[in-house]
Amino acid sequence: MEVNIKTNSLADANNCIAKSKQSSLWRWPKLLLQSKTGTVGFLIVFVVVFVAVFADSLAPHNPAANNLGDMLKPPAWLDGGTSAYLLGTDNLGRDILSRIILGTRVSLLVGIFSVVVAGIIGILIGILAGYYGGLIDNILMRIVDSFLAIPSILFILVVLAVFEPSIMVLIIVIGFTNWVTYARVVRGEVLSIKEREFVKASKSIGTRNGIIMLKHIFPNIISSFIVISTLSVATTIILEASLSFLGLGIQPPEISWGGMLTDGRNYLATNWWLVTFPGIAITVTVLGIIFLGDWLRDVLDPRTQGRK
Amino acid sequence: MRSPYKLFFVAYLMVMLLVSGCSNQSSTRENEKGTKGETGKDKTTLVLAQSADITTMDPQNSLSTTGDRVFRNMFNRLFYRDANMEVQPELVEAYENVDDVTWKFKLKQGVTFHNGDPLTAEDVKFSLERVMNDQTLKEYPYFTQLAKIKVIDDLTLEIITDGPMPTLLRLLAKSGADVIPKKYFEEVGLKEFQKKPIGSGPYQFVEWKRDDRVVLEAYPDYFDGAPKWKEVIVRAIPESSTRVGELLTGGVDIATDIPPNEWDRVNGDEGVSLVTGDTTRIMLLVVRTTEGSVTADPKVREAIDLAINEKAIVDSVLKGTGVPVRSRVPEGVIGSNPDLYDAYVYDVEKAKKLLAEAGFKDGLEITLTAPKGRYPLDGEVAQLIASMLGEAGIKVNLKLLESSAFLDIYNSNSNEELLMIGLADGLLDASYSLVHYTKERATGQTDYYNEKVEKLYHDAGRNLNEEERIKQYQEIQAIIAEERPHITLFQQGSNYGVSDRVEFKPRLDEVINFSDISVK
Amino acid sequence: MKKYLIRRLLQLIPVLFIITFVVFVLVYLAGDPVSLMLPEDASEEDREALREALGLNEPFLYQYFHFLGDLISGDFGTSFRYSQEALPLVLERLPATFELAAASMLVAIVLAIPLGIFSARKRNSFVDLFITGGSVLGKAMPNFWLGIMLILMLAVNYQIFPVSGRGTFVHLVLPAITLGTGVAAEMTRLIRSSMLEILHQDYIRTAKSKGVSDTLVIFKHAFRNSLIPVVTITSLQISHLVSGALITETVFSWPGLGQLLVQAVNGRDMAVVQAAVFVIAILVIVINLITDLVYRLLDPRINYS
Repeated sequence: MEVNIKTNSLADANNCIAKSKQSSLWRWPKLLLQSKTGTVGFLIVFVVVFVAVFADSLAPHNPAANNLGDMLKPPAWLDGGTSAYLLGTDNLGRDILSRIILGTRVSLLVGIFSVVVAGIIGILIGILAGYYGGLIDNILMRIVDSFLAIPSILFILVVLAVFEPSIMVLIIVIGFTNWVTYARVVRGEVLSIKEREFVKASKSIGTRNGIIMLKHIFPNIISSFIVISTLSVATTIILEASLSFLGLGIQPPEISWGGMLTDGRNYLATNWWLVTFPGIAITVTVLGIIFLGDWLRDVLDPRTQGRK
Repeated sequence: MRSPYKLFFVAYLMVMLLVSGCSNQSSTRENEKGTKGETGKDKTTLVLAQSADITTMDPQNSLSTTGDRVFRNMFNRLFYRDANMEVQPELVEAYENVDDVTWKFKLKQGVTFHNGDPLTAEDVKFSLERVMNDQTLKEYPYFTQLAKIKVIDDLTLEIITDGPMPTLLRLLAKSGADVIPKKYFEEVGLKEFQKKPIGSGPYQFVEWKRDDRVVLEAYPDYFDGAPKWKEVIVRAIPESSTRVGELLTGGVDIATDIPPNEWDRVNGDEGVSLVTGDTTRIMLLVVRTTEGSVTADPKVREAIDLAINEKAIVDSVLKGTGVPVRSRVPEGVIGSNPDLYDAYVYDVEKAKKLLAEAGFKDGLEITLTAPKGRYPLDGEVAQLIASMLGEAGIKVNLKLLESSAFLDIYNSNSNEELLMIGLADGLLDASYSLVHYTKERATGQTDYYNEKVEKLYHDAGRNLNEEERIKQYQEIQAIIAEERPHITLFQQGSNYGVSDRVEFKPRLDEVINFSDISVK
Repeated sequence: MKKYLIRRLLQLIPVLFIITFVVFVLVYLAGDPVSLMLPEDASEEDREALREALGLNEPFLYQYFHFLGDLISGDFGTSFRYSQEALPLVLERLPATFELAAASMLVAIVLAIPLGIFSARKRNSFVDLFITGGSVLGKAMPNFWLGIMLILMLAVNYQIFPVSGRGTFVHLVLPAITLGTGVAAEMTRLIRSSMLEILHQDYIRTAKSKGVSDTLVIFKHAFRNSLIPVVTITSLQISHLVSGALITETVFSWPGLGQLLVQAVNGRDMAVVQAAVFVIAILVIVINLITDLVYRLLDPRINYS
């Protein structure tokens, strides 16, 4: 009976944490305001998402409309710029601001959803492999090893050569190649966590594996996941640009920041605005996502709680 | 926000802007250069930068302009093309057309391979038979009209064709007709030959570092006199801005394939200049005339042609390199039709009217497949065409594909209404280009068929009367320009960045003879 | 330990088998190389003849087992593009890519370890923010952009380094910075966050409370433990390095494996793709094995029985 009592007290402890976490919805904005970087990150991400959702109404021009009379106009504040094109025009006379606004959509979609796909697969496989070990670990890790051994860009390259590169295809392909990163890191963490006293204690009192994984392991890997995945959103936006560079990214008329960077790179020396503004868009967005991710990590990670 | 954060943020954006702005400003500033390369009489090394590496040292299995530029200087052919694209004897002393199908050639004396072996009729027979018979060679498809090679004596041979062949001499001046040393090749085999290729040309092989450089040196015993350069380095630099960078810093003397966006950099710089030329490559739209597709209606095809302003495309995005054309056979190629060169039709109102007549008053939707990154600014051109067609009420579903995926579509005949491609003429003869309008070739792709075109083409192919043959080809082009299984856009230009240290003139066939380049 | 090693080495067999299959399927799906080998003007007959000559008309499984059979005898087939055996083509590129990768890792490590530790110790300070921001910038810059930028500034405007190519040590500088920056950015962040975690763990606090000096705590205790995730990420960086190399090598026309690989995929040069992937696979597996062993040295709590 002693065992039961222990289980109950453990469950109580867990409930306590859960309760204190969700005691009030107001806790979140309060916590957010406590962190400056978190606030900045949240604001940036909020604006970017807002722009992505309302892109059609926000864009001052039709981003696909080319105007051969207005090719390569510099930004409005420079000589030769006009107020009609705030950030200038590209080599086909298209408004860069409008293209950045529309490009937000594609870049965010690809960035976020491919991370979601990769994260779900990776965490699941990582936990299973790390926790159970033995044959399951062996089989799963052999698959991981095989995937790891194939450079993801090569995998993606070949798949994109078979299927026409659309946003959906890109999300799925990037997701399916990047999950190994999560799986390996998660497994590494799980290997370490499962040797800790609280997991051993739970096990010794016969708590079901599923519950241990959900209640003890999962919360402990969340911080790693968030750290990697925030950077991953960034990496994916960059990866999309790299694929464009190799000729396999999202193709026009679809607009993405990576595509703008790639097409504009030839004008770096002569018409810098073609590359610089999408570059700033990427940097600021990535910065925002990472600040937000860091803050979330501080808040969610049980190990860092109460540290401040 | 605490002030350091704000400061940081502002600094951040400033740096980004500055970095880009700086590079812009300072690149137009005059640079000190020319220090790296040798100049004047001391200059004995020529450095050339191409956009792609050669893939083989087998001249009969290459079929690329980049490869031809190397092989042309390492190997000899029976004939060559001079700067005006006239066919001239190279290894041949004298020749004679014995009858409709038999040609007799007498070779020059004293020609030697780089290993010292003399070049004989046996070597010519061996080389031509190799490319005639080995189906895995890329040049094979062009040499199928050759039937037999007969060696008469050491320096005399006969070529027998499978029928009258007006284009034989042109073929013998084409890539793939290179003469390789029989004895050496049979001794060492293809694998070793690739490691140390031997030809009879003005420059001999030193080394080939893949995706980096090919190094050649002068062959002092060249039959036509000692070559001009002591050493020639052909570098592969795929990224155009890097290529231009090497040119501006004096790392290379000539850089090929300079896209229009880099012109200001090249022209704005002292010590280098842009040299433009023509190519035989015509950008065109392959139109599906298959029963059931909307472009089966000639009115729709005409409307598409009328809606596209080829001149505007050439003048804007391509900055004037290129000539609008209405035929696939450009000026300079035998059999071209001067009426259709430097010509285009553009009339949006008429296009709309034709569409209405064809029953598409409310517009129609078509698919345009185009490559991106295969030809200079191809993606941009395709996007322009899409929006021009949009103005005439044709909604274009634009599919831009990377080069390989694009070729898959093209070669598997899965092209939809329109497909944009650039087609060159390796033989510089209309027969090469116009084969696309024969039933055999068009089936599955354009599905175009015209009995008259068919007859004209086959008659011309066996016609040894040059004047008549040209007329036949010109007539085909006039018909095609009206019926439009291809809607031709423009003749592509070639652009080279050239250091002021050397004198260089581009050729229509895009070949570079190193010895034609001289020190200034 | 010995037993563990032997077991790991035996695991190579299924992994390599899976890899050959996956790669073969992918490359098979990628389509018909014949259309890329012949000119735009080739006729269907020409293509069919070439297909027949190359054995591409055989059924899938036949082609696969044929490929496997050749592989066991060490034959990766002949490159379509180069008309040469594929394996030597791949192997001759390794030194160039190793050179670039090693230099990039060096750049990354030299930058990341001090920056990561420093920024963790000065958490939330201006310096920390600047380093974090810098690492974001490092990540947010696509390789090709950074490479072109470096060429413009340091090779064309101020002619300090050569523009492109491989040769002397100076040729290596710009490509190594280009490729190393992204890796450094990721490493810096990782070191920072794992340092932060460790600095707050009980044993560090205990050590501190016992009066052990700050620097000693950092280097003796915290640093060693913060290396665990860094080791993981370093092994993961191998495939990042390969993909980064594809772009960096193209920008700087560096004659390495990356350029070969991207051109092989574009040219559907099955033999080269397979040989390259196979060679890289073996390298990655060996590196993973070493990673696991280093793990064991760093964190004795992990049990390998």
